[in-house]
Amino acid sequence: MTNNSAGKKNVAEIIVVTSGKGGVGKTTTTASLGAALAVKGKRVLVVDADIGLRNLDVILGLESRIVFNLVDVAKNVCKPSQAVIKSKKSANLHLLPASQTDDKDVIGESEVKAVLDQFRREYHFILVDSPAGIEQGFKNACAGADSALIVTTPEVPAIRDADRVVGLLASRGIEARLIINRLDPDMVRRGDMLSVQDVQDILGIELIGVIERDESVIVAANCGEPVVYNAKSKAGQAFSRIAGRLCGENIPIPMVTAETFWERVGRRLGVA
Amino acid sequence: MFAGLKALFSRSNEPSATSSASKSVAKSRLHFVLVQDRTGLTNDEMAKFKKELVGVIQKYFMISEDGFDINYKRESDSTTLVINSPVKVRRIASKSGDDEAGKPQQDETELQSTAQPA
Repeated sequence: MTNNSAGKKNVAEIIVVTSGKGGVGKTTTTASLGAALAVKGKRVLVVDADIGLRNLDVILGLESRIVFNLVDVAKNVCKPSQAVIKSKKSANLHLLPASQTDDKDVIGESEVKAVLDQFRREYHFILVDSPAGIEQGFKNACAGADSALIVTTPEVPAIRDADRVVGLLASRGIEARLIINRLDPDMVRRGDMLSVQDVQDILGIELIGVIERDESVIVAANCGEPVVYNAKSKAGQAFSRIAGRLCGENIPIPMVTAETFWERVGRRLGVA
Repeated sequence: MFAGLKALFSRSNEPSATSSASKSVAKSRLHFVLVQDRTGLTNDEMAKFKKELVGVIQKYFMISEDGFDINYKRESDSTTLVINSPVKVRRIASKSGDDEAGKPQQDETELQSTAQPA
């Protein structure tokens, strides 16, 4: 903060998005928060650190524009600016894609850190999409991170893995904040899903947002357009609120309530 | 038409009769698995640790083993081993002098009085 306000030169905050378990929504979260921060006028670089299994490009609809990637920058095959792709929707949002043909251990932590440092002065935020697991790919993604966002769903395996990752990040001195994804308020009310409070109590880290289960996330992914551009989407709105909190805005986390009978009627009839 | 109406009413918000406990099952399973993950103790080691702890506590207290619980809790800047042991009664009737052990000032005077004759 002091760096940003004191000097004219901006220094990006580097945030790693991670989870331990795969399939809980890391890539969707990275793309959505990147887009939401860009909408707020922040210059954002989203980095796909999932070498060999890249997907951030398809979520952002930029898969056809990739020329160079993170590994190329690390190995000095190209200039950093040559690997970066501008989003179609926002001039503020840029993507540094992963290599699809290499292995996760083709680069190390110091190389990733060096790459990120080269971009640090050009952005307000650098969001790094971590691969699943806790091996080299995860370590690379955490290299250079100022803080972490832990994505979990309210399910036993996801929470267990998140807990493991929280411990690993703590040992590296990286502060972690929690995003609970795909919460189903009806199931919570029926007693068939862990509540926000339950998950928070178990993991014991600061909660920064809750995303309800929302079909529009899949629709957005089908189209390669981040869900935050859909103003009606509950998930999109929740991601936008998290982006606000990342910017230091004081936005309370709304209580998640089950939908009422009439809301349900409306949804089934296609009104809402 | 009827199928649609049925679907409309089917996902009622009432607590489900069949699986109302599934959240608590999830919680207790998570609790178990996280204590293991966080402590790094195996099943056998944890059972042994618990047994020995209960043994030590039972030397001094009557406890109910049902409520005995070991937790390894992570807070923002530290990790704490939390042991919950419901105590029924003090097992051995204490000697008169021990009763004042919790009050430091009286304790001191007593120590002095015992020291003088020696």
